[in-house]
Amino acid sequence: MEVADVTKFLADTTPFDQLDAAALSQLAAHINVYYYQAQDSVKINTDRLLIVRTGIFTLYSDQQQLLTKLQSGDFYGYQQLLTGLTDNDTLICEEDGLVYWLAAEAFHQCRYQYKNIDIFFQRLFSRRLHQYREQQQVSRFTLKISDVVQQRKIAIRPEQTAQEAAKLMSDSRVSSLLVEENNKLVGILTDRDLRSRVLAHALPASTQVSQIMTRQPQSIDRHAYLYEAVQQMSQYNIHHLPVTDQGVCCGMLTATDIIRSQQDHPVYLIGEIHRQQSSDGLERCSQQIAALAITLSKQQVPAYEAGHIITTITDALTQRLIYLAQQKLGEPPCVFSWLAFGSQARMDQSLNADQDNALLLEKEPVGAVGEYFSALAEFVCQGLAQCGITLCPGNIMATNPELRLSLKGWSGRFARWIATPTPDALLKASIFFDLRVIDGSKGLFNALQEDILQRTTEAPLFLYHLAQTALQRTAPLGLFKNFILEQDGKHKKGLDLKKRGISLITDLVRVYALYAGIHEVNTRSRLQQLAAQGIIDSKDGQNLNDAFDLLAQLRWEKHQHDLQNSHDVTNLLNPAEVSGLARHQLKDSFAVINEAQSRVKQRFCREL
Amino acid sequence: MLGWLLRKNTVLSEVVKRFINTPFPASSTPVNQANFLALDLELTGLNPRKDHIVSIGWVPVRGQEIILAEAKHYLINSPVSVGQSAVYHGLHDHQLKNAHDLADILTELLAQYAGYIFVAHNSALDEQCLRFACQRCFGKAPRFRFVDTMQMEWQRLLRQGKVVKHNALKLPSCLKRHGLPDMANHHALEDAYSSALLLLSQLKLGGKTMTLSDLYLLSR
Repeated sequence: MEVADVTKFLADTTPFDQLDAAALSQLAAHINVYYYQAQDSVKINTDRLLIVRTGIFTLYSDQQQLLTKLQSGDFYGYQQLLTGLTDNDTLICEEDGLVYWLAAEAFHQCRYQYKNIDIFFQRLFSRRLHQYREQQQVSRFTLKISDVVQQRKIAIRPEQTAQEAAKLMSDSRVSSLLVEENNKLVGILTDRDLRSRVLAHALPASTQVSQIMTRQPQSIDRHAYLYEAVQQMSQYNIHHLPVTDQGVCCGMLTATDIIRSQQDHPVYLIGEIHRQQSSDGLERCSQQIAALAITLSKQQVPAYEAGHIITTITDALTQRLIYLAQQKLGEPPCVFSWLAFGSQARMDQSLNADQDNALLLEKEPVGAVGEYFSALAEFVCQGLAQCGITLCPGNIMATNPELRLSLKGWSGRFARWIATPTPDALLKASIFFDLRVIDGSKGLFNALQEDILQRTTEAPLFLYHLAQTALQRTAPLGLFKNFILEQDGKHKKGLDLKKRGISLITDLVRVYALYAGIHEVNTRSRLQQLAAQGIIDSKDGQNLNDAFDLLAQLRWEKHQHDLQNSHDVTNLLNPAEVSGLARHQLKDSFAVINEAQSRVKQRFCREL
Repeated sequence: MLGWLLRKNTVLSEVVKRFINTPFPASSTPVNQANFLALDLELTGLNPRKDHIVSIGWVPVRGQEIILAEAKHYLINSPVSVGQSAVYHGLHDHQLKNAHDLADILTELLAQYAGYIFVAHNSALDEQCLRFACQRCFGKAPRFRFVDTMQMEWQRLLRQGKVVKHNALKLPSCLKRHGLPDMANHHALEDAYSSALLLLSQLKLGGKTMTLSDLYLLSR
């Protein structure tokens, strides 16, 4: 017969909160309850699991070093139970409290019966709790190209004839062909090309494919998200996209493939954005973003994918505004690249992000060139603000004449930051080192990026200061593994998930990426590249990646919660408001950040 | 004519006899070596002569550990309606239809916990009821050894020089004072468990050298 107080406590304690009433009651029947007074030492080698019900218990190593403090809902003894090994740690009661002793047999039985409980304790043991997930529903709102694209590749050689192409299309029942020479993609040919380039011009059926195909077509990697393909199709007004796998062409994605696969999806919003003819129209589109975010969250889209989608929408708004600006101002006087910095560049934009953008110009911004781009920047930035992406309070926007520079101007500016990196300047400048081209010339942007990375890889002093800057803030974890809360302007206490979590990881990873000259800007992609190139240990990389995902997830859920309750969207999380599991995971994630910071310190901040 | 009644009594009284013949631990025994049984009764009223037991809950404490595996809660067949007492314990007549016979439950209690020191909060009433119940079922009531967590709390507070109001000695107030989870709610097992928790805390406060005689003194 069960004591309600005990079963109720178990039902609220991770990982037992997943058990049903009958299983909980069975578990409770194998529990003995003991009361410890402050200063009592807990005998821990007794082959039972200790569950702290009330009070505080402190764990010391055999060298009397304080290891951790246990409080309500924490466990001890699973180490011995899992490994059968004993250790010489001592557990001292610090504040009077009750503990539950769970018999070893019941503990093991529970682990065998419930896989997730087993995983929980295994992970707790390896101190990598942030990798444990509560039974996750596999829901793929965000499809990838590889989920949709037809697995067959229908290709023709450039020297074959239009008639052969038409026959191949009919036989294979497709509307487009890949044109390949020596297994290399050289163009595409659509049924529309046969109509408009062959029949309409009365060319003979023997015309070679090479004369009528579209050369150097846009293409997309098969691991990209589907909405990125829609983005590309909308932007260039095309309906066929060759799909590549590690640079090798492997199939064709058509607009029909996409429509067939998706009914309610952000792609429709992106498509709509690219059809708008005024900034008012874009504003109307942007009003759907909040609703879309709620849908994404309901569909359990992971935070990093949601961040990717939100960023893609911002990109689309930007691109369309640039298009509309050109409609109004006329053709640009020279080639340009519209750049994004910070979270938009890293593709992890959140709902409360502001603008960070700039212009890279082919020519010096003087005279007519200067005026044109000043007007363009004004139009685009104001348009984005109208769409709810607030103006940057630090004035990091293309409307700032300091941020409309030629390649030479930007290169000089980055060179100065890198050559004479004062910590103060770096604090402001670090945002500029995450940059991505949103619209305009990719070539121009690539030239700038190459220039920057060439400099950073050979600048130990710069990396030293950049690392120092990244180490200025620490994770909010106290000496005893307790959370350090901080206050916002409205005197609400909490953990700042961005400032004291996500940004710390972003900063650390940026140091490595600039050191290794990695082109990726997205934090997860950077970590993958760093691990692949052996710059960081792959396990450390995975840990950082998991910690990053967890913090991003908690922030995303916090934002959703704020949004649904019509609060201001903030990054301040009250740890008392999250589940026991999330608290454990947060602590582990912060511990991962601490470790990563000390590694960066060792690597980049030794005496020069 | 009453032979069946006598026969039943002689069989059952074996249990009573064994309970009587099992000695309680010596008064010099350290409290951490004694066995306790925390128990609580819910009654139809406050008069042990007239009123009946509607439910009983218990949980043993051995080596200062509460053994949840042996926690028990029984509803008891009552010869009279629970009447107005339902307001307190929440047990209504219709729930008692499938309840147990008092004699069976008392037999289980006496058979399994001979030599145990019984623990209750405000134990006087529970002790009297138990005695009358045994008298009724077996024709003879054994001598129980009770410690009263309420008395112990009262003495402790007096020694600290505090003015003790009556409310301050109720189970929820005591639990709160000791920083223990408070679930006491006039459910026999929950209350028995709560008084067991209170006992654990009180034993700790008594220090490592505390013996049973110290405990009896405190609980007087």
